This record gives sequence, C-alpha cells and structure tokens, in this order.
Amino acid sequence: MAVRVHLSSNLRGPTGGVAEVEADGSTVGALIDDLDRRYPGLGDALRAGVSVVIDGLLIAHPEYEPLADGGRIYFVPQTAGGSSHA
Amino acid sequence: MTVTEPKPSYKYVGTRPVRHDGLEKVTGRARFAADLNMSGQIHGIVVRSPHAHARIVSIDTSEAEAMPGVKAVITGDDFPAVEPGHRQYDMCINVIARDKVFYEGHALAAVAASTRDQAQAAAAAVKVTYEVLPAVLTIEAAMAPDAPVLHAHMMTAGADPPAEQPSNISNVTRFSSGELDSGFAQADLVIEREFTTQPVHQGYIEPHACVADTGQDGHTTIWCSSQGHFSVRSSTATLLGWENTRIRVIPAEIGGGFGGKTTIYLEPLAVALSAKAGRPVKMVMTRDEVFRATGPAPGTKLRIKLGAKSDGSLVAGDAYLIYTNGAYTGSGGLLGAMTVFESYKIPNFEIEALDVVINTARSAAYRAPAAPLTAFAMETMLDEIATDLGIDPIDLRIQNAVTEGDPSTMGFPFARIGFVECLEAVRDHPNYKAPLGPNQGRGVAAGYWFNIGESSSATVNLNEDGTATVVTGSPDIGGSRASMALMAAEELGIDVHDIRPVVGDTEAVGFTDTTEGSRATFATGMAVVEACRRMVVELRGRAAKMMGVDIDDVDWVDGQAVYTGSDDEKAPLSVAEITAKAKRTGGPLTATGSLEAHGAGPGFAVHVCDLEVDPETGVVRVVRYTASQDAGTAIHPSYVEGQIHGGVAQGIGWALNEEYIYDSDGVMENPSFLDYRVPVASDLPMIDAIIVEVPNPAHPYGVRGVGETGIVPPIPAVANAIHSATGCRIRDLPMSPVRVLGAITSNGGSNGA
Amino acid sequence: MSRVHVTCTINGDPAEFLCDGGQTLLDALRDEVGLTGAKEGCGTGDCGACSVVMDGRLLCSCLVLAPEAEGTTISTVEGMASGDDLHPLQQCFLEGAALQCGVCTPGFLVAARALLDRNPDPDETEIRYGLAGNLCRCTGYDKIVRAVQAAATEITAINES
Repeated sequence: MAVRVHLSSNLRGPTGGVAEVEADGSTVGALIDDLDRRYPGLGDALRAGVSVVIDGLLIAHPEYEPLADGGRIYFVPQTAGGSSHA
Repeated sequence: MTVTEPKPSYKYVGTRPVRHDGLEKVTGRARFAADLNMSGQIHGIVVRSPHAHARIVSIDTSEAEAMPGVKAVITGDDFPAVEPGHRQYDMCINVIARDKVFYEGHALAAVAASTRDQAQAAAAAVKVTYEVLPAVLTIEAAMAPDAPVLHAHMMTAGADPPAEQPSNISNVTRFSSGELDSGFAQADLVIEREFTTQPVHQGYIEPHACVADTGQDGHTTIWCSSQGHFSVRSSTATLLGWENTRIRVIPAEIGGGFGGKTTIYLEPLAVALSAKAGRPVKMVMTRDEVFRATGPAPGTKLRIKLGAKSDGSLVAGDAYLIYTNGAYTGSGGLLGAMTVFESYKIPNFEIEALDVVINTARSAAYRAPAAPLTAFAMETMLDEIATDLGIDPIDLRIQNAVTEGDPSTMGFPFARIGFVECLEAVRDHPNYKAPLGPNQGRGVAAGYWFNIGESSSATVNLNEDGTATVVTGSPDIGGSRASMALMAAEELGIDVHDIRPVVGDTEAVGFTDTTEGSRATFATGMAVVEACRRMVVELRGRAAKMMGVDIDDVDWVDGQAVYTGSDDEKAPLSVAEITAKAKRTGGPLTATGSLEAHGAGPGFAVHVCDLEVDPETGVVRVVRYTASQDAGTAIHPSYVEGQIHGGVAQGIGWALNEEYIYDSDGVMENPSFLDYRVPVASDLPMIDAIIVEVPNPAHPYGVRGVGETGIVPPIPAVANAIHSATGCRIRDLPMSPVRVLGAITSNGGSNGA
Repeated sequence: MSRVHVTCTINGDPAEFLCDGGQTLLDALRDEVGLTGAKEGCGTGDCGACSVVMDGRLLCSCLVLAPEAEGTTISTVEGMASGDDLHPLQQCFLEGAALQCGVCTPGFLVAARALLDRNPDPDETEIRYGLAGNLCRCTGYDKIVRAVQAAATEITAINES
C-alpha cells in the first residue's frame, strides 16, 4: 500500500533533509518499518514518540492506525498538551 | 455575545443550567483534599533543602525519630533507586532527592507525627550535611562555557551533530520551511527583537494536599487534589516500585490547577510514611512550599526576526527560543517552537528552541504551556509591523492568518479552524471603536493552542426512577461535570438536572488521562456521547420488548421510545417507564464508552486590551478588555466565558506583576501572595468574552477545548496597549510600574519603538 | 500543654471547643469544630479563603488565635443559608456561574455578605475594592462581581417587599 509521507523538519535527518517520501504499509507501524528499511535510523526516530495526522485528524498513538492506498500521512513530534512538562 | 454559524438546534447543549456540584460549593460542604480526615490520621511534613544546589553528604534522622509523637521518618533511601534513562527519572528525583538537591525547597525527607506541630518540630530536627555547590540561576549562566553542569548525564537531545559533552542544555528542537535567506531578501521591512521573561506560578488557591492510608495488606488509598488521579496512581506506583493495583486514588474536589496539578509531589511520601507508621497520613503544603517547590512556568529568552512586504504579507521568520524548565528536562522549547509561527502563513522560516536547566524548582505545565511567551514576542512584533506599515493590526492578522488547508509549522494542513472568525468578531465589536481617554492605549493580540485528545472513559447508569448517573474519570477543574451532563441530556433526552455527573475513582471508572490540554469536555465528552448512544440502542431494545415489536421499528425521539412500524399505534415509552421494568426486560441499564480521542481542534483567540498608564508612576490600569475565542460549540456558555475570563486575568497578572524573584544564592524572595502579587478584583475591569463557534468536525457536538487559549494573547495585548498609550515598547516581563516608568522616562534607547 | 476551653456562638448556635493556645481560629474551626467551609489558601491573611465574620467584623480566621474567639459571635459560610433557603448571594453565585473550582467561594460569599451588610447598594468599583482581600484565580472576578450586583438588587427587593 503506497503512502505519501510528510516528515516534520526535525525528523528529516535520515532522509537527508527530504520532506516528502513514499513508503508502503497497511498500518502506521508497518509504514514505519518500511521507512526504516529505506532510510536507516528513521524507524528509531519515529518510534521514539511521534504523532501523525491522517485526513486532518491528529492521532497521538498511531501504531495500529490503518492506512489507505494513495493516502497521505504527516509525522509530527509527540506532545501532550497541558501535560507536557513545559 | 456569541457569533455562530448555522448548527443543529439543541435542547440542552448551549444552555446555562446551574452546575450540579454548585450547591455543595456555595454552602461550604464540598470536600477538598485538605478537608478530609481519616480515623487515626497523623500528619506529614516535608524536609526541604535550604540550598539551591548541593550534594547531600548525609541525613541523620535519629534525633527526629526520637521526638514526641513521631511515627515515621523517610528519606530517598526508602524508595527504589532510579538511574538516568528511567522513564520518569526527573519526577522521581524531584519528589524526593537522592544524592543531590537541585533547588531551594527540594524535598529530601519527610516526617509523620501525631500532630502537625510535632511533625514540624521533628522535621526541623532532621540533620542534613550538605556540600554546597555553585548555583546556576540564569540562562546565561547555564549556557556559559565553564558552567557547573547540574546533571552529569545530560547530553543535549536533538543536537546535530550529537553532543559529546554533558551540558545544561537538555533539548534542541528545530523546524524549518522554505529558504530563509531568499525569504528575507523579498522583505521590504525586517525587524529583529529580543525578549526576556521570568518564571511565574499557576497560583491555584488550594495548596497541594492528600491523605494516604496504607493497610497491612500493602494496598493504599489516596485521597488527593489532582488534575488526573490515574496519573497520580501510576506515578506513585513508579516511585514506590509498586504495581498500580496496590493503589486506589480517590479524587477530592480540586481547588484550581491550571496545569500545575498534572504532576505529583506529596502522594508517594504520604504513602511511604503511612506504610511505615501503619496510620493514615495527611499532608498539606503551605503556600510557601507551593511557591518554592511546585510548578513555575518557564522563564525565557527569545529572539525573533521577521520580514514583511510593504503590503503586510509576512515572507520570513527566524526564531531562537530558550526556555528554562527549572532543574530538569522540559518541553518548553518544543512547545514554543510549535506555537511561535503557527498562527500565520510564513513561507520561509527557521526555528531553533533550547531547553536549559538551572537551579530553580521544576517547572510544570501552566495553561497553554510556552505559548503566551512566544505570543508575547510574535504579537508585539506584528504590532510593530502594522504600525510601521500603517496597516490596522487586525487587518494585518487577517491578511496573514492561517485558515483551513494551510500548512502548520510541522507541515500538516489545518482542518477547519476559526482564527479569522475570531479576528472579525473583535473587529466588528463596538469596543474596538470605543474612544480612548488621555494616557490610554489599545492593544490587539492573538493566541493559539493546539489542544489534545488522549484517553477517556465514561459509564452511564440509568437509575430505577429514570434518572441517570454519568461517571467519568476526568477531575472537574472548571465546570466540566455540567458539560458532561448537558451532552448526556442531549443524547438521552433526559432533563439535565435528572442527570448526576460524577468523577469516579481509579477503581470505579475506566482509565482516563489527566484533565489537561483542554481535553475534558472534548475527549471525555466524546466518551460520554459514545456511552449514551449505546444506552439509546439498549433502551430501544428494551422498549421493543415491552411493545412486542422489532427494535428496528423503535426510534429514540426526545427521550422517548417511539414505535415507527406499520402496526397499530403504540404509546411511546419514557425512560422512567423503561427503567421501571428493567428487571423484566434484561436487568439494569448501563453502558460504557471508552476511547482514544483524535482530532482535538486547535483553539484561537483574539484579545483587545484598553489600558491607562499613569505617567507619574508607571502604574498600568486595564480599563476595558475584549476577548474572542473559538469554542467550536459552547456546551455551557457560562463556563466557556469563565475559562476566557480566567485566562485573561492570569495573563494580565503575568504581563504586569507576576515573577519569581531569587536572591544571588537562588533563594526565592517572594514566596507569598503578599509579595508574589496575583490580580485582585480591584485590578481588573469586566471582561467582554465573545464566544465564536466554528464547530470542530471531529467532535459529535463540535467542541474545541477552551481551557488554555485564553491565556495566550493577554501579555502581548497589554504590551501593545502600553505602546499605544506611551510610545514605548517593553520587551521584558513583568511590565511593572518601575519598568514602565523607566521606559517612559528614557523613551528611545532599547525600549523605543 | 493544657488546652484552652473556648465558648462562643457559631452560626447562631452555642459552641464550645478545646484548642491549643497557638492554634489559629481557622484551624480550630476546621479541626476542632468540624467546619471545613473556610479554607487555608495562604495562612498569612493574603487570600481571604478563610474569611469569617467575628462580632460583626470581617476577618481572615488564619490571622486570629483561636482563644480570642472566647465570648464572640462568629459566622461562617456554613451559616449563610437558612434551612433549605440559600442566601441570595449563594443563589446568585450559582445562577451566575460565579465559581469554577469553588475553593475561594466560601471566603467570597462571607466577604460579599459583609460588604452588602455595610453597603446594600455598592457600585462595581465598591464591589471590586470591597472584595480585594479575596483571591480568585479561576474566574477573573467578572462573574463574581456580577453575582454580587445581582444579589444586592435581590436583597433590596426583598427588604422593600
């Protein structure tokens, strides 16, 4: 399942600064595995704690979230709103 | 006043019933944590460090243990060791110090005795030998090349290239988009400004308090004041090395939190003392302890450069943000980076944000953490640009405001948001054109907070008489119980006062994340709606049985089961008629909803502050205040207004008065409400709250969280109004009389526009 | 240390309690008498959450020693309602959503009643200065001021009828 992946700028080290890449996966977890194969090290960065935005919805714990073929997903840093230790 | 776009007509949502917990609170019967007393209870007192930075050489508790009435003394040695890298390392060594103390007021031992006086005397008799270390008290000192390093293990996270030496910089966050140089090359106007701000306290009126009762079976019950009792349970368990199931946490009424009661301080100490003494232990902080040892919001140094074309469009932004989170790792920098440019379309930007540790109390969340400070910088600079380019400040913001589909700082497109609507609501309000008197000025500023979802659970129980009890796991810090009841009333068709909203303890309701991130009415509300919708299916099924028809031929309309089939007409059945026969149709009627809520809609707010500056004294008096905010849908408009009012008042205090003041050794010099002055009634005017309703598509009623955004715009709104009144730009907080007077008398210089 | 025996009138009823000589009236009300409506927000007379009226005078009970209550008449938030009838201030606070967390509310109600006893028709400024000894961190005071205005109107109407 091919998905367009957008990485927030702090997550682009392993892609050499590239913001948008393609990867495969039927869930966000599988997508991260595939991203790690393509861009070694990116998997660790993403598993360390990121949220995603799919179809306008911010999802804080997305590992098992299903993905649609041809869809678009945004990886962003994980935060916990008012709980964040500011 | 409410500005709305077309929405469904609701019977209960949007009305203003008397809150369900109100009667207890106006009669003095509401039970806050410090009001609770258990049979056989003794009293715990914390021993705190007088030094801002010291190694603990030894702690001698023998004299204290021998004193009258003393039942237990504990130190860090009574808790499992924690090592750097532990998931909650900072929290653990903050609740009770191990080998080092990191700020004045840091807890390092605790004593329990029959009376509070006895415990205080014994606490004073705990002998601690310190090796005093140099205290690092400012951002500059912490970042100096030869600075003493607070935490030997602290390697800057996010550093590129990776850090090779430990330092006092805990994190670096970077975001960027476009090409900064070419962006600034397009600009007709470029300004660069620096700002400094001091830590401030949430200032909840109720000090932290708890009672813990540990039984011989090794299980404990904690009654406490907290924004999240499930988090109290897990954090306490982590500190003690216990399983969660050994701890039950019962939330007391909470006397204000504002983010500061999302973490823990006393509970593990009370449990450990109780376990050692075999008695319930009550612990209540003094106000002095609250100031010295809990929750300040970060202080900052901020530097921002903005470029705009002569038509007002922003083309480039460069932000360098430094947050001090006290003595431990924090996320002020990340949140500052996420919020600084988020409200505006800026095609080319770079953001670098640092979190720095210093020898002051561990910071805690405070309403829209970090955002009021980035707004202070960004929104005062926009005011400068508007002035320089001769553009109305609201028009400048409308021109640059993000709308649906625009990319956020992190790249994803915004869903439906109400920023422009908030700007228009203020622009069209008569207050925006109200005449100003001598020495008066008007300031406009906007604010943003992203809000969060997280996990919530709710249970709806129908009672035998047709009334309902709605149990959730969200402590109610500002009227959320009324919101839960209103949404349940709308779903079930039961009168809102026939619904009893209850906050259940950790063993009475499903897991629920802390009341934070403006999530209770949004996320827990979704769980309530889910539970109610399941209940309606159940009610239709029971009614179908009673009518002897198929469930598909029964609808739920206005709180009644209505037969829609083609057979003979059947009388509708009310909830009470169905519950009265529950034993014959399948037993008690109960339904739950549990979910991880996605799609918390961002909140925007736009404020206009009118104030008067006394040119002789520099005293600033706010004379008129207008605040619009997008609530999505206001479930209980009075409490939405209340959240806006409260945020405004706190923001004005932050702007004009509030700051932590330390002496050269890092001892806090103003740890009382006399010296740390929060706004009183005579400091403030009425606050005109304008609720804007641009429904959040992710919530069944369109709710956006409203608890936090209101504190974001006031600081820059006040600063811009001071400029309007005096011609002076003040870029350091607080804008106290001495600072305002200094700016007026030396107009020009660093404070000039 | 022998304890001090105090006899006084609390919310219209005769009351007796034992206290330590150094105990505050606030602690005695809460711990000895069992009236926990008055709260300790600061213990230094800065927040007003412990407001009570003693012999007609509004004061912070954290600044009064319990033995000083001997022979006095004290009223607290628990005495404001008569039976099931709430005091107009209590009713107006409820209807006007003039409380959020509610921990300052008892002090505000006691202070507002003392204000209206002194000045039955205060303007906004008089209300704001009259309640300046009470801190609220939730409401921004807006709805509190409005509730006191509404209660003043209601009390005046009751007294005139």
